[in-house]
Amino acid sequence: MIYKIIHRTTYKYKYPVSVGSHVACLKPRSLTRHRLAQSELHIEPSPATMTERVDYFGNHLSFFTIEEPHNELVVEARSQVVMEENEPLLTQSSPPWEEVVKSLPQDHSPSTVEAYQFRFESPRIRIRPEFAAYARQSFSPGRAMCEALLDLTARIHKEFRFDSKSTHVRTPIEEVFRKKRGVCQDFAHVQIACLRSLRLAARYVSGYLRTYPPPGQPRLVGADASHAWVSAYCPGIGWLDLDPTNNVVPSNGHVTIGWGRDFGDVSPLHGLILGGGAHTLKVAVDLEAL
Amino acid sequence: MTVDLYQTPLRYGDAYDELSADGVTPRPHWARLMESLRAIGPEELGRRCVRAERRIRENGITYNIYSDPLGANRPWEIDIVPFLIAADEWRVIEHGIIQRAQLLSLILEDLYGAQSLLSSGRFPAELLYANPAFLRPMVGVRVPAHSYLHMLAVDLARSPDGRWWVLSDRTQAPSGSGYALENRTIVSDVLPNVFRSSNVLRLAPFFRAQRDALTALSERSNPRIVLLTPGPHNETYFEHSYIARYLGFTLVEGADLTVRDRSVYLKTVDGLEQVDVILRRVDDSFCDPLELRSDSLLGVPGLVDAIVAGNVKVANALGSGVIETAAIMPFLPGLCRHMTGESLKLPSVATWWCGQSYALDWVLKHLDSVVLKPAFPSRGMEPVFGAKLEQAEKGKLAARLQAQPHEYVAQEQIALSNAPVWGNGHFYSRSVVLRAYVLNTGNGWTAIPGGLVRVAEAEGSVVSMQRGGHSKDAWVLWDSPVDTFSLLHPRNQPVALRRELPGVPSSVADRVFWLGRYVERAENTARITRTLISRVRRAGQEELGCLLRLHRSLKSRQSKLPKAKKRRATALEFEHELVSIISDVKRTDSLAFTLSEVSRVGNSVRERLSADMMILIGQLRTSIQIGRDTQFAEYPATLTLCLELLSAFSGMERENTTRGLGWLFMSIGRRLERAIYLTRQLREITWPLGEQDWPLLECLLEIADSSMTYRTRYYTTLQPLAVLDVLMADESNPRSLDFQLAHLADLYQRLPRRLPSDLQAMRDALALLRSFDLRTIGYTLPGDPAAAKDSEGLARLGSVLEGLERLLPSWSDNLSSRYFSHARTLPITIGL
Repeated sequence: MIYKIIHRTTYKYKYPVSVGSHVACLKPRSLTRHRLAQSELHIEPSPATMTERVDYFGNHLSFFTIEEPHNELVVEARSQVVMEENEPLLTQSSPPWEEVVKSLPQDHSPSTVEAYQFRFESPRIRIRPEFAAYARQSFSPGRAMCEALLDLTARIHKEFRFDSKSTHVRTPIEEVFRKKRGVCQDFAHVQIACLRSLRLAARYVSGYLRTYPPPGQPRLVGADASHAWVSAYCPGIGWLDLDPTNNVVPSNGHVTIGWGRDFGDVSPLHGLILGGGAHTLKVAVDLEAL
Repeated sequence: MTVDLYQTPLRYGDAYDELSADGVTPRPHWARLMESLRAIGPEELGRRCVRAERRIRENGITYNIYSDPLGANRPWEIDIVPFLIAADEWRVIEHGIIQRAQLLSLILEDLYGAQSLLSSGRFPAELLYANPAFLRPMVGVRVPAHSYLHMLAVDLARSPDGRWWVLSDRTQAPSGSGYALENRTIVSDVLPNVFRSSNVLRLAPFFRAQRDALTALSERSNPRIVLLTPGPHNETYFEHSYIARYLGFTLVEGADLTVRDRSVYLKTVDGLEQVDVILRRVDDSFCDPLELRSDSLLGVPGLVDAIVAGNVKVANALGSGVIETAAIMPFLPGLCRHMTGESLKLPSVATWWCGQSYALDWVLKHLDSVVLKPAFPSRGMEPVFGAKLEQAEKGKLAARLQAQPHEYVAQEQIALSNAPVWGNGHFYSRSVVLRAYVLNTGNGWTAIPGGLVRVAEAEGSVVSMQRGGHSKDAWVLWDSPVDTFSLLHPRNQPVALRRELPGVPSSVADRVFWLGRYVERAENTARITRTLISRVRRAGQEELGCLLRLHRSLKSRQSKLPKAKKRRATALEFEHELVSIISDVKRTDSLAFTLSEVSRVGNSVRERLSADMMILIGQLRTSIQIGRDTQFAEYPATLTLCLELLSAFSGMERENTTRGLGWLFMSIGRRLERAIYLTRQLREITWPLGEQDWPLLECLLEIADSSMTYRTRYYTTLQPLAVLDVLMADESNPRSLDFQLAHLADLYQRLPRRLPSDLQAMRDALALLRSFDLRTIGYTLPGDPAAAKDSEGLARLGSVLEGLERLLPSWSDNLSSRYFSHARTLPITIGL
């Protein structure tokens, strides 16, 4: 199966922006679950400079600057991703989670050393006793890692309410945890904080999710949104993806753009502008199966 | 010979005494100094201390203490007794710190490169991954060979057994070398004879090597090097401007730089100029809000990408702060053997990183005997002395340690050595720490001979400049001839003669422009208020009316007087208003406020002003300190003193300043400001005046310092026309409006990228002004039958001045948007 994805971001500024420097993380990665077939970035007004770089986590970043005065910035990423049929890893048997905690700092194999960096605090994720306590209800003593992970995912899905009005991009995770409301980004952050507070390694995944229109209705173009979920590490098995927003194990409906310690590492589009004043932001995502 | 110099505690505890092993006889290398200090005698030493303090104030040497309620710009405090290091001992320290610099440099190369230390388990992964100073975008970036560390600072302390130990490493933007240089200048000046006869290793070769090393970082032959400072509020801003001036680099803030096409440029009044090397004093993660901390206002968006592209070199390399953590200390002996094949020459103070389980156990059992610190300095936790904690606090601390052990280190409290300090007529002894510096020359490493010695505020207390405290010069007494080269007066190198000055950063042009305007504004306010104050008490009702009109020409929005339309102010109200406009710092139009702006702006461009000008600025700031009990009659004398200082400043500006772009902007600021208030004052006499208004003319002449000129021409007859001629039309009077406009146009046309339309407007305004034939205006007294038709010419002149009053600020605005604005706008983060 092939997905065609169009991700269009529009910034409208009250006053002209004289110079803008931006970083986009909009190009899906190739992994066992899927492979990037094609990708292009259309930017309006056209950038003075444009550079591609692979970041520390292996994500594709595009750096561009706009040096002419503009009142509107449009960034449209078009990609085609080929989905492979994979057995979700979570069906495998897994060790008790305490063993994972113990082996993380001791195992010097490259993949575990690499994974170990996702077990500490990061700019947007704190380690707190209350997160650990919440997680322990799922991570009971001796419970198998995968089973506990699925249980925590299900609990967050059940106990947190999807509410796009209650949080914004800078809402601290403690507040999300207290209100038990938020969006996919917040749920992913909460679950990561829970896992890291237990000394497990977990990372933030940015991507897309295929949505289905209600029965009998046509698919609405551009009605989708970018999505976020969680990945947890288990030595010997690897990274296990979990989507707390939908309580599913990501498979052929999820397209991964990239991952990092938290949202800040993989923000789809951010930048610095000179001038501009107040601005509005509009994002439209369209994921279509060809 | 005995040491009878100590009066207060000879020695305390079992701390090492630098001066004397037995408390009686000085150690051999201290003998000559102590002998000559004794010969100088306490009275003369006291006088020399005063001289040193005066020099510190005059040179404006300051150190900003963040928590100081007295505010920023605290004078640097220095003890005139140098700290002495014998040659043999220096060799041990020098070898030790150079080895340390090499080792730390190798560790950085690995952490930002192959990371073999992680996979071999020799370097704990936590210290990298949990470390906020680990800058992931810098991994794999090609940094010029072995130049992660351009400079390393090491804090050293001597333990009771006489060995030197490393307390901490400063690996990203080490501060203090400039203060060390300034300390040397002052102490060698205060103790010239003993300095000359002691064969002290000089500091200048080190700074010459630093300049060469930074130059060599760039492939270009004559690279543009800038020193990036967080700005005037930073604790060591003085040093930034001092080093920039000493080494000949341009001092810049983040907003002065911009990245275009993956290269870094300096915004100058001539346009953009490429920057090749950045010596940074901004912390790692604040250097680029695009890729590092997005909340940083100190950095340059896109800097990381320019580094990745290889188009700019930054010293120290971004990311070098990752090994500033004390937590690596326990691993250094092993890493040293592994990476250099040698054993570590200078030990670190005993340190336990709680991320190791046995270390955590030990620390929990011995909380009383250690100092606990954050493993990552940016966490901002204050050191905790275990022995000082209550039982309950210990429990809380233990819980924090167990929850995130890798976040903490514990260090042994070392008994610091003591050195003699001079104060209040006698010697006493204080704990000291030596901050030593190592420089990467590109072909090897070299150390500052000596360094910066910091002295504890009270006996045995923590040594930290942030907590106040003194510093000392450190003399390395060499055993063979020393190089007496000075960077300011190089002898043995031919100098390439050059006249053209490097481009002036927009922000500097902005500040000197405003310095010019503020100095002129201060003078105007002082002149008007002095004239008014000396008259208000003896003024009759009619004269008071004139004085109020003059006050109105100040266009004060914060005036405390009743609105003119409502009722006329009383003499007493006017007196209060005058006191307020002189001394009320809360009013932005007051003289006191303007002078504080002169000081603020002056300090922010201090590397562009002469030392003498900085002294004047310092004196100006305190020149009108007026207390509650100051008599009204004393004000004119105070204002006169202030005006003398302002005149001295203008004199230096005129006679001692190179006619570069900086001077041009300052002078334009001055001319604009003077033209603005002159126009306002002249408008007061462009309508028919009665005899009762005559005092106004007298005041105006006095304010413009033109009474003499007038009198020699017209004797005592006061005529409005004649006054207008002197103050408006006389092109030979430097206080006339004609003079301001003529000079403004002349200065403006020398600017690069000037606006032709504004230049034309200036010339047109001047021509218009000159087209008035004052003789035809026919100024007649009211009541005269001719008055009605003659006042027509006068009204026309009034409207010309009114137009000019609107034009002048617009030229200032245009200048701002053309030359300064891009240095003022701060970038806004979106999408994060």
